[in-house]
Amino acid sequence: MSAMLAAGSGFEAPSTADFWQPLFGTDGPFAITRASIVILLSAVVIIGLLLLGTRRLAVVPTKGQYLTEQVYGMVRNGLGRDIIGSHDFLKFVPLLFSMFVLILVNNLFGIIPLVQFPTMSRIGFPVGLALVVFVIYHLVGIRAKGLGGHFKHMIPPGLPLPVLLLIVPLELLTYFFTRPVTLALRLFGNMFAGHLLLVLFAAGGEYLILHSNVPGYVPVGAFSYVMAFVMTVFEILVEFLQAYIFTLLAALYIAGSLADEH
Amino acid sequence: MDDDAHRPAGPPGEAAAWTVLAYLISGPLLYGGLGWLADRWLGTKPIFVFVGILGGMALALYVVWVRYGTHDRRPPSASDDAGHHCE
Repeated sequence: MSAMLAAGSGFEAPSTADFWQPLFGTDGPFAITRASIVILLSAVVIIGLLLLGTRRLAVVPTKGQYLTEQVYGMVRNGLGRDIIGSHDFLKFVPLLFSMFVLILVNNLFGIIPLVQFPTMSRIGFPVGLALVVFVIYHLVGIRAKGLGGHFKHMIPPGLPLPVLLLIVPLELLTYFFTRPVTLALRLFGNMFAGHLLLVLFAAGGEYLILHSNVPGYVPVGAFSYVMAFVMTVFEILVEFLQAYIFTLLAALYIAGSLADEH
Repeated sequence: MDDDAHRPAGPPGEAAAWTVLAYLISGPLLYGGLGWLADRWLGTKPIFVFVGILGGMALALYVVWVRYGTHDRRPPSASDDAGHHCE
């Protein structure tokens, strides 16, 4: 898809094609893409940073240890303990922490020079993560309350039968469809749209300044770069927020499956 | 669970807001969809879709209210035996 700015101009607007970047001459469903390289890189970066941050642990921490502890503490206490509850949150902390850090680093890769590709803008990655959350919150519920108890838990108690008939399908759809789908789409959509916007402002600015051959367009191109900068700052916020919300919802869904009714 | 005395019934307020979205989408989707099928079947084109979407929204809001809006007002000994229901 290419959009023409004016007659005779050759500006190619960024499109979905910018997100499909197979490398090394590979193609098709098993292609090695830029996203797959970036997520592998993220694993290396995360392992490296965490090893550095937890090396030689001391009561008076180094800067690295302090930062690692801050992030870990935020996930452990803010997302784990406060939401799942102090009784059984600990066994979910490794999952929540890995999920948060993995998403955060991959999101931040969207604006880190040279990498500049948010992995989660390829829908397969958020779908995979959402499926993990989906399987876990159902398994946890079934283990805690049994299969029947898990389903019974999805229905609010104390409602008259006619209302129940309307609400049961609604609850089932929410638990089995809307929750995982919105979880994946929210992350995907935010990263996809944000990256598209950045590419548009950067490519547009470059085109207006260098290739349009109209002197009057140069200030407009400069403004486009200002916008690219502003949106980059905004993206940092979105990248943190989306990593946080994804993990928060994972914790909330697990908490919901565990919550007992007595 | 022994920590339930300290734990609010259900997730903290601003966190619950994020789970509410799933209900608000499910309602119109489900009953709007059923309405669309009913319209196709009965040939009443826009009527049941319209009713379904509106009804689905109302039901979704009702579920949200039942799940998140009634904790503070309803004492544990109220009509149902499940005094509170988390999430």
